Amino acid sequence: MTVMQEQNQTESTPVDQRILDLLNASIDGEISAAEQGEIDALLASSESLRDLDKQLRATAKLLDELPVLEPPLYLQGSIERQVRLPADGAKRGNPRVLGQWLGSQWLRTGLALAAGVVLTFGVYEMGSRPISTGDVENLSGTMVKKVPTGQQGKLIDSVQLDTAQFDGLVELRNTDDVFSLDVRLNSEDPMEVVVNISGRGLDFDGATHTRGPDDAVAVRDGTIHLASSGENHFTVKLRRTSDLQQIEPIGLDFIVKDQLVRKAELTISRF
Amino acid sequence: MYKDGDAVLVNGCKRGDRRAMSQLVSHYQQPVFNAAYRILGNLDDAADATQTVFLKVFEHISDYDEKFKFFSWIYRIAVNECLNQLKKRRTQESLDDDEVSPWQGPAEELDSKQLRERVQDALMSLGDDYRTVVILKHISACSYQQISEILQLPEKTVKSRLYSARQLLKKALENEPTISPG
Repeated sequence: MTVMQEQNQTESTPVDQRILDLLNASIDGEISAAEQGEIDALLASSESLRDLDKQLRATAKLLDELPVLEPPLYLQGSIERQVRLPADGAKRGNPRVLGQWLGSQWLRTGLALAAGVVLTFGVYEMGSRPISTGDVENLSGTMVKKVPTGQQGKLIDSVQLDTAQFDGLVELRNTDDVFSLDVRLNSEDPMEVVVNISGRGLDFDGATHTRGPDDAVAVRDGTIHLASSGENHFTVKLRRTSDLQQIEPIGLDFIVKDQLVRKAELTISRF
Repeated sequence: MYKDGDAVLVNGCKRGDRRAMSQLVSHYQQPVFNAAYRILGNLDDAADATQTVFLKVFEHISDYDEKFKFFSWIYRIAVNECLNQLKKRRTQESLDDDEVSPWQGPAEELDSKQLRERVQDALMSLGDDYRTVVILKHISACSYQQISEILQLPEKTVKSRLYSARQLLKKALENEPTISPG
């Protein structure tokens, strides 16, 4: 319904528009003393106006008494983990330096070759059957499987990481029975992220990552190991295999040079 | 709700002070979430919208012009985000899904929870322009002038929309005899 249509519907009220305005301003407490005196006099002399005043005040009261809702408990933490303030960007390095790097001829050639390798693996894996945890126990090395790219699905939880050794962002998204774990890391030293999905009713269903010489994805004993150095972006696909309403949080261990630097959890209990 | 210290916190955020950011989120997450819920009519959508609002606020915090009040700015972003979500939702849903379901229970069973649901349904039956003004007035407790700043509309338009909206709400609620506002 348009504003004009709704306006027309309200025009049938047999009260002068100025009086109606005064009545509403009085209800909202945004009226001068002189105007309040004027509307008080009119109310005293008109029963129909008193009825209208009573009804409008009752409507306003119903609205004013709607309860104030508490935001979900996870909300503040989730917002804070995702927010990047202007100074954060400066701390993580000058983007112009990265631009100069990307502009160099040798790097462009290297990236093109790497993209070709990734594409070859991707085509091979697209034709294979789905991978489950059972299939890949104790598997190590690098694998690339067709996984939707970009931010897909509804954001469930996230962890922002800002340590002396590395920084990054991990986001968990969901579409139907598929969870997508987006892991962005930036570290000078080689590091490993251990994703614990054991007993969570989730199966590993493939991964992609931006390829570096020391980067790899391995699955063993219900844990997924993401080995990384420099700037890297992994997308891990997990498929839900259990109808449990409450799933235990996914555990994350961040290890740099064999030292556990940070532990975190991603909760999926909203499902 | 509207803190005098907002300007200090905003400046802290511009310098990268995450505690200042945390305080702003703490101050405003509840009012933004409540306004979003009353506009969108769904708790999950309201939580998503609130999250998006804060990410946009801090992404553009360097561009924030301090001659405007921070609460007006964040509310403007919140209202725009919610209205955009509604537009997207309406392209995906049939019109039938948006219709208010008729009240079917006997009068004596109408408890306060059901009453609140009916008031929310009546709110959702309003056009977006009317609903937004009503929510800013009655949920966010904004003055005419503040609503005018947030929506960037003349105060006269704010008043006329608010008055028309209240009359439409009165009519919508009158159709439910057990919760007649009179």
